[in-house]
Amino acid sequence: MAAAPKINREPSFRDIDRSVLRVMEPAGRAYWAWVGFCFTLVGIAAALWMRQIYSGLGVTGLRQPVMWAIYITNFVFWVGIAHSGTLISAILFLFRTKWRTAVYRAAETMTIFAVATAGLFPLVHLGRVWFFYWLLPYPNERSLQPDFRSPLVWDAFAVSTYLTISALFWTMGLIPDIANARESATGWRKTFYTVLAMGWQGTDRQWRHYSMAYLLMAGLATPLVLSVHSVVSWDFAMAINPGWHSTIFAPYFVAGAIFSGVAMVMTLLIPMRKLLGIEDLLTEWHFDNLAKVVLLTSLVVSYAYITEAFMTWYAGDPIEQMTFHMRYFGPWGWMYWVMVLCNCVIPLLLFSPRIRVNLRALWVITIFVNIGMWFERFVIIAGSLTANFEPSQWASYRPSITEIMITVGSFAWFLGLFSLFCRFLPIFSMTELKEGIVWLRKALKMDRVTAA
Amino acid sequence: MSTIAIIGSFADDARCANAIEELRAAKVGEFNTFSPIPSHRIEHAIGRKKSPVRWIVLAGGISGVLTGLAITIGTTYEWRLNAGGKPLLSWPPFIVICFELMVLLGGIFGFLGVLGLSGIPATEIAPGYNGRFGEDRFGIVVRCDEAEAARVESMMRESGAEEVVREGV
Amino acid sequence: MSTNLQHADHERAKPQAVESVAGATMQTVAGAMIVVGAIAFVFALVRGAAAIAWQAYLVNLLFFLGVAQGALVASAAFYLTQAKWGGSTPYRLGEAFAPFLWVGFFLFFGLYFGRSLIFPWVTHPIPQKAAWLNIPFLFARDGIGLGVMAAASFAFIRVSRSDEARAWTVATDDIALPPHSIRVFAPLVSVLFAVVYTLISFDLVMSLAPVWRSTLFGWYFFGGAFWSGLAAMALVATVLRGRLGEHNLFTNPTVMHDFGKMVFAFSVFWVYLLFAQYIVIWYGDLPVETFFIVQRAHHMPWSPLSVACVVLIWLIPFTVLMSVRTKKTPAILGTVTVLGLVGMWLERYVLVVPSLSLDAIPFGPTQFLITIGFLGAFLISAVPGLNRVAQAATSGEPVGDDVE
Repeated sequence: MAAAPKINREPSFRDIDRSVLRVMEPAGRAYWAWVGFCFTLVGIAAALWMRQIYSGLGVTGLRQPVMWAIYITNFVFWVGIAHSGTLISAILFLFRTKWRTAVYRAAETMTIFAVATAGLFPLVHLGRVWFFYWLLPYPNERSLQPDFRSPLVWDAFAVSTYLTISALFWTMGLIPDIANARESATGWRKTFYTVLAMGWQGTDRQWRHYSMAYLLMAGLATPLVLSVHSVVSWDFAMAINPGWHSTIFAPYFVAGAIFSGVAMVMTLLIPMRKLLGIEDLLTEWHFDNLAKVVLLTSLVVSYAYITEAFMTWYAGDPIEQMTFHMRYFGPWGWMYWVMVLCNCVIPLLLFSPRIRVNLRALWVITIFVNIGMWFERFVIIAGSLTANFEPSQWASYRPSITEIMITVGSFAWFLGLFSLFCRFLPIFSMTELKEGIVWLRKALKMDRVTAA
Repeated sequence: MSTIAIIGSFADDARCANAIEELRAAKVGEFNTFSPIPSHRIEHAIGRKKSPVRWIVLAGGISGVLTGLAITIGTTYEWRLNAGGKPLLSWPPFIVICFELMVLLGGIFGFLGVLGLSGIPATEIAPGYNGRFGEDRFGIVVRCDEAEAARVESMMRESGAEEVVREGV
Repeated sequence: MSTNLQHADHERAKPQAVESVAGATMQTVAGAMIVVGAIAFVFALVRGAAAIAWQAYLVNLLFFLGVAQGALVASAAFYLTQAKWGGSTPYRLGEAFAPFLWVGFFLFFGLYFGRSLIFPWVTHPIPQKAAWLNIPFLFARDGIGLGVMAAASFAFIRVSRSDEARAWTVATDDIALPPHSIRVFAPLVSVLFAVVYTLISFDLVMSLAPVWRSTLFGWYFFGGAFWSGLAAMALVATVLRGRLGEHNLFTNPTVMHDFGKMVFAFSVFWVYLLFAQYIVIWYGDLPVETFFIVQRAHHMPWSPLSVACVVLIWLIPFTVLMSVRTKKTPAILGTVTVLGLVGMWLERYVLVVPSLSLDAIPFGPTQFLITIGFLGAFLISAVPGLNRVAQAATSGEPVGDDVE
């Protein structure tokens, strides 16, 4: 692809368009090789899933008492990743944060694909996938209805609502940009964009309704974000398992979700910035601010770990204390300490303003954060199940090749879809970048963010 | 007298808003604006009422809550399952469902409302539309009698229009 | 938005000289309130009603410390979110109640004298928890916590009042970060707040029912304290609006709108934290957890008070402040915040007192007068801060050019 021009520190509207639209030019072989690689992995995972559907869940490592392990970990992990997008697009919009404009589209796209990936896992986890619709209320002759007092049903509603609303919010944001892209496109792309843009012309009437709807959708999406990961956490907190039954789960999981999600945004955007040549749109200032969000949520997560540890001791329940003892010092204790290192210790580096603008360091730190957060879910979910109330039931768990490949496949699915999006639809919101052009110019001119 | 369209193109929204105010004061006829970004200055200059989208969203939210109540209460009555001794109509779980449906229907109604009110999907291109209005120019299209044309054009030029073009309708 | 710029120009015409807003009358009244409260307290002790006196003392200490600290943390949060929607005034407003932090610090040690009537585990020690729930350790850790908190808060205030910081708050169209000292103290104060107030809530509220526990309790408590600080700030803004002459910051509807939005949003956050605890405890149905909620929300005589708390802190602000117009109407915002603060006081009461006196609601003239006493102490310590707020609000600073 075309080499990136020297960074233009005073971009105009047209410069923004050029930078963003240039990304959507036909791609080279390296790109298609990467996409092909991703979807090959997806294919392998799909084949293994077919085998699992045919043979049953016995091909996994799931055995009593650990009946929820990697699949559910992945589910919670991906829903968590999804939250960053809505935080950035909706919540920061309500706060009128200026640095959000450059990252919001990529983050929101991540949300859609992450929720789509997450939504696959309850299906993967069902032995008889074809009965998934039993989770939804529909009239039937046997008067069977989902039990609305079960958190799993709340989950079905919450995650579907989240997927729908995110998709609608994302689509709404895309329409003006696609209309812009349609003007300079040629060939089949022009038809594609013309259809998608639905005739948007940016008239005052259209912008008036759009602006108000955008604000309202942001206002709706904000409590939705809080509720979705709370509902997911309640899949565990509603049980009376030690290590699961804890009131702090809801906001703690939400903070953890934002933590892993924003880290994933950075993990993706930092290489993208170089690969796609968009240094003039995505500055160190943006990453500095994203890093601060990561730091804040890391502190919240650390607070939760310490509170849980303290409360376990304080409550004096011997079973709970035993479960936590196993969590810290049992056979899987190494996972817990890896998690603490990745989630609590390494992000402390982000207190340093120098590190917050060092993109290489940020990339490494955010990868650690994602590893840590994956382990956190696994430690909580499978960890609590291995050492439960009955010592005679204690057992360990080892993932089978099916589970491992499906996990790898989920990452490939996510990255593959995201990569496709980057080339075919605008990965940055041209509209919002233009709205925030004054701030963008200031950010480009700031040499060191630390200069105050 | 035939109606013609006069298209003025501006480099920034302040000048465009200026021109709109003058045009409104002069009451020269219908006009349409195009802009690449939503602009409060322009919205303020045009001075229409707030969008009714908020009522549509509110209606959606309320329907969501009612649907949630209907589904949860209805299905629980249909199959009276004893779930851990919880009361049949337990409000904490039902609140969660009602909340989710409130957001879902509020959002869906809002989205459809925007599409409907904005007239999209639109199959016709509004007269005077030019690709540059999606890129970096703000445009005003005035439909007026030929007699008024000169006045309109001079108003636009005074407000700083880069380009003023006349087109037959 | 363009109105903001015009308004600012108008204001910049002449900074008005403002006579002291928290003047002699207020100080005298507040002083009288303190005296009355102290007398009621001592009288109760002497009369043999020491238990209710100490209960009232504790409830008021928790409430007013929460308001003062919450407001200060709001100022720190404004720096962290680079808020410039009101110039320097919101910062002064958050810092206005800070002197009470030292008052509260000293009053905290007063609890020592009522320890056997406040902490059930003093008269009935619990061996497994004795390493944590013992008087020397509790007073040491909470005392140090409150002391460090107050010291850090004042260090923060000192850098926040510097010329550099003030210049930053009115530089509305710049993306530079706040001065370096702010970038140290604002996060420090915020983190300390979460930690210290979690500790306070565990020690002074949760330990009153030593068998009970809820991991979210600390967050819930300091979340409520933060909200009460915001509500107090909004209330002061609506009151000062009328008293500061024609062109003060609080006559700017956008500023009032922002206060209203914060009161709205954090009241929703509070009810979320409440619900998160409620639903987990309700669902698990473990007696060791449920008794606490059942005592307060499901049994008379406390259940109407619990409902009242939710109505005052969440339902009223949520329904009334949803529309833009009501947020910008000072009379409405003022009423909602007054009701909300009463609700938060009631909430502290409902958290603390049923653990100490379950069957009847002890509330009579003694408790009322002690509350008045604390309110007087709170008001007196806010006098210099409020005068600074008045000064900032009438100084004609330009306010943020935020597009709505």
